[in-house]
Amino acid sequence: MKLSNEEYKALEEIVGPEYISQEPVIMDTYNQVWGNKFFFDEKHSIRPAAVLLPANTAEIARAIKVCNRYGLLFKAFSSGFEYLSLSLMNSKGILFDLRRMDRILEIDIKNMHAVIEPYVSVYRLQLEAAKYGLYSGRIGVGYSAGVIAAECCHHGCQHSMVFTSGYGRNVLGVEWVLPTGEVLNLGSGESGSDLFSADGPGFSLRGILRGRTGANGGHGVITKASVKLYPWYGPAKWRQTKQPGEPPSAGQLDKVPDGYKVYVPTFPNLDKTLEASEDLCRAEILYAFGIGIIATNPFTEGNDEEWALVQSYMKNPDPERGAIPYSVVCVIGHQSEREMKYKEKCVLAITAKYCGRFTKAHNEPRALARAFADILWSNGVNLRATGDFLPSSSSPDGSPAMLKKLALQEAEIKKRYEQTGAFLALGTTGRMVSWRPEEHLSIGAQGISTAQYDPYDPASLEAARQFINELFDPRGAFSRYGVPSRGGCLQIEPVTHVHQNWGRMYDNYDIWLRKLKKILDPNTVSDWTAYIPPEYPDYAKDDDYVLPSYGKGEEF
Amino acid sequence: MAWQDYVHDMQRCTRCSYCKWIPYRYMQDTDFIQGCPSISRYLWHAYAGSGKFNMAYSLLQNRIEIDDTFLDVLYRCQLDGSCDISCKVQQDIEPLQLMQELRIKCVEEGHFIPAHTVAINYLRREDNMMQSRRADRGKWAEGLGVKNLTSEGCAAVYHAGCRYSFDKELWSVARAGLELLLEAGVDIGIMGAEESCCGGRAYELGYTAEMTKFAVHQVETFRTAGVKTLVTPCSDCYACFKVLYDKIGLKFDIEVLHITQYLDRLIKEGKLRLSRKVPLTITYHDPCHLGRLGEPWVHWQGMEYKVMGQMIVHDPPKKFRRGAGGVYEPPRNILRSIPGLNFIEMYRIKEYAWCCGAGGGVIDAYPDFAAWTGNERLKEAKAVGAEAIISACPWCKRNFLDAAAAGSNNDIEVYDIIELVRRAL
Repeated sequence: MKLSNEEYKALEEIVGPEYISQEPVIMDTYNQVWGNKFFFDEKHSIRPAAVLLPANTAEIARAIKVCNRYGLLFKAFSSGFEYLSLSLMNSKGILFDLRRMDRILEIDIKNMHAVIEPYVSVYRLQLEAAKYGLYSGRIGVGYSAGVIAAECCHHGCQHSMVFTSGYGRNVLGVEWVLPTGEVLNLGSGESGSDLFSADGPGFSLRGILRGRTGANGGHGVITKASVKLYPWYGPAKWRQTKQPGEPPSAGQLDKVPDGYKVYVPTFPNLDKTLEASEDLCRAEILYAFGIGIIATNPFTEGNDEEWALVQSYMKNPDPERGAIPYSVVCVIGHQSEREMKYKEKCVLAITAKYCGRFTKAHNEPRALARAFADILWSNGVNLRATGDFLPSSSSPDGSPAMLKKLALQEAEIKKRYEQTGAFLALGTTGRMVSWRPEEHLSIGAQGISTAQYDPYDPASLEAARQFINELFDPRGAFSRYGVPSRGGCLQIEPVTHVHQNWGRMYDNYDIWLRKLKKILDPNTVSDWTAYIPPEYPDYAKDDDYVLPSYGKGEEF
Repeated sequence: MAWQDYVHDMQRCTRCSYCKWIPYRYMQDTDFIQGCPSISRYLWHAYAGSGKFNMAYSLLQNRIEIDDTFLDVLYRCQLDGSCDISCKVQQDIEPLQLMQELRIKCVEEGHFIPAHTVAINYLRREDNMMQSRRADRGKWAEGLGVKNLTSEGCAAVYHAGCRYSFDKELWSVARAGLELLLEAGVDIGIMGAEESCCGGRAYELGYTAEMTKFAVHQVETFRTAGVKTLVTPCSDCYACFKVLYDKIGLKFDIEVLHITQYLDRLIKEGKLRLSRKVPLTITYHDPCHLGRLGEPWVHWQGMEYKVMGQMIVHDPPKKFRRGAGGVYEPPRNILRSIPGLNFIEMYRIKEYAWCCGAGGGVIDAYPDFAAWTGNERLKEAKAVGAEAIISACPWCKRNFLDAAAAGSNNDIEVYDIIELVRRAL
């Protein structure tokens, strides 16, 4: 649906004619993203009526007031690498592409935080912060992802959060344009000071800011944020270069930077792996932690090369490589020799306690350097193998014991689907649990199990939908886990599915969330497709993954 | 493959935005991490490689049609291949080939860019893309006393290309290049007024028949002349002869060299001795057509199939062009052999280099965009402390000169590598 002349003019006056478009050719590049096929049965979700490229907070605030005046939906995004970022409830909606707001406004070395705008990508911040001996944490989906999007808006997990904690806990203050167009400063920014608060954006507002699995633009626009930075023990600058014998496109470090060490212990079985992991995380020595698969294989440039490598392993089985499921990557950082020796001693002692060993294949210098780069800087989500994936996050903030039960169940379920040929089957005989402990396990961990499927293979797509429905067992019909699951996230469950199914199991949080939505957004102009509706529609069903209202009803 | 044959690529573009940047592993300075001039300048996602996949998929589904906006987005792009290289770090898909095929479709269906139509009309009439008279083509070499292949035989041919042939300000470079080869004792001649366009630029604009016509002509001409080697100082021509002719099934059976490759060889053989100091701090700009677009064409015909359940692979295995096979070291070898020269690399180099701005017909149709792009590169050259930026292509030099004149970066010198070699002799 096009905007009326009056609506268009009102918005154009704010951002200028160069920074607003409603051309179909342009608009149809704002509604095609991975995951759409899973949710909408189409590559396209709803085409926005217009996209704006605002330059600053004031323009966004004014434009949102126009949205309220004319009843236009709006949503803002930075890199747009999620269906959540771009989906709209209906076609009378506009998107704010925030790519012009790309400044790192401040890096406060003393207080270890950065003030940034929405289009600052994680790797850019990492490069800048390193100059001052600081590090911003990793973002799972890749180096071009926006820091504000991850830390203020989305749900996810990554490998450095054993040290840096989860995304949401790194937000110190925000500048927030509410759905009414008012600008709210949270954190100590509200008192006119700088954007710094020791414990998040004010009085435990983290939950309001982020919702159940990220507010994803459902209650306004975060236009500025102060985010925590952490010590960086590596060099101020580094170069990844082509390494002899490696594919040319995959530049790498030639060694783990001074200031860090990487260990990849391998344990005899999954139980010992998980027990050792728990001890390693609780020892408060780790800078980053991940599963061994990160460190094991040389990079391959494409699926054909990957397949050739797999075939070579199949022809010449290597017991050391077969130990992947029971290997973990431990990164330790240090400022002094003494600190390093202490941390090393801990890693070695815990490894020994659980009968671990250090295989040559996983601990040779190049493998360790590969692991370091991937685990700290993010190689990104690689959808090359099949075209799409399901990042099933089995237990946000769960305890290790709970996580283990869930993850093992999850692995069993996934294995069944893999055996039908519906998903990518890596062929590992062992069960692998990928978990992301937060803050040295002091606040639990997240587990993630990725199922890779082909959204353009009808059988694979259907299996993916069945898999998610079975995995989360929202009604508890199967009593499968023996412990309550906390449900998935919006990357794999439709918004109503998440809240309607899980809300009643968890203190009716969804009722409060809907109340907040109504208060913050009285005219329901901030698109809720990835947050929560003020009132539930009547179509949520356990197995309803093709959302009838989205992406349909438009003819061209 | 026709544009609609890339449907799987359209579907598999995830919108990761990697096409907008150089691969993160090669990022060094945060002021210089963008890869694609088009999205950097015009901001809308459509201008990125990913946006082209989206546009094509919408076109395939009849959601949009080819209109002025479509053409504007498609052609405000240098087709420099940066997005293609970055995309292929994560995906087995072909953004550059799709963009090329979309241009071909536009031309076939009669959707033209006016400035390109003018250039193509000249090409059809005068055999050049410079809107000049055919009769003037050989003038750049007047007085050199070089062999003319139309009347004399020789082992190698020096193909100046349209830009060098008709841009008088650059004639001295074309002449110097030839003189270097002659002084080194190379048995080389030119076609003079009988030289014609390679057709590469026309192909990039979508005019495939034009390139095919010139390719047939060139292959036949050089075969008849009995030359063993074709040397060109133009990177565009090099990529066309080396890559595009092969792509369309008209591969030369003679050796095709860019002049930097030949000079590098001559220096190594001791036939060119660079002994005079050139006290200059310089940086080298990799021309796209010599670098990532100069990587040899890889023919592949086969089918997709799945292994390990759902992993998509090819039979036979498909070798994607990821840019590493371009010509990167010969020009650097030359620069390193020049005494007194202080050579500093920029932040974005080799297959991750930022475009000069001239390619893909942009210099003809959108000179402001060409100048903007060129200025971004000049800024980078200055940022690493270079007094001069060196390239190996007349289109780069022309665009840098124009950009410097139009922008605020007129305090940096612009040279072709040939000029430095000449000074060092």
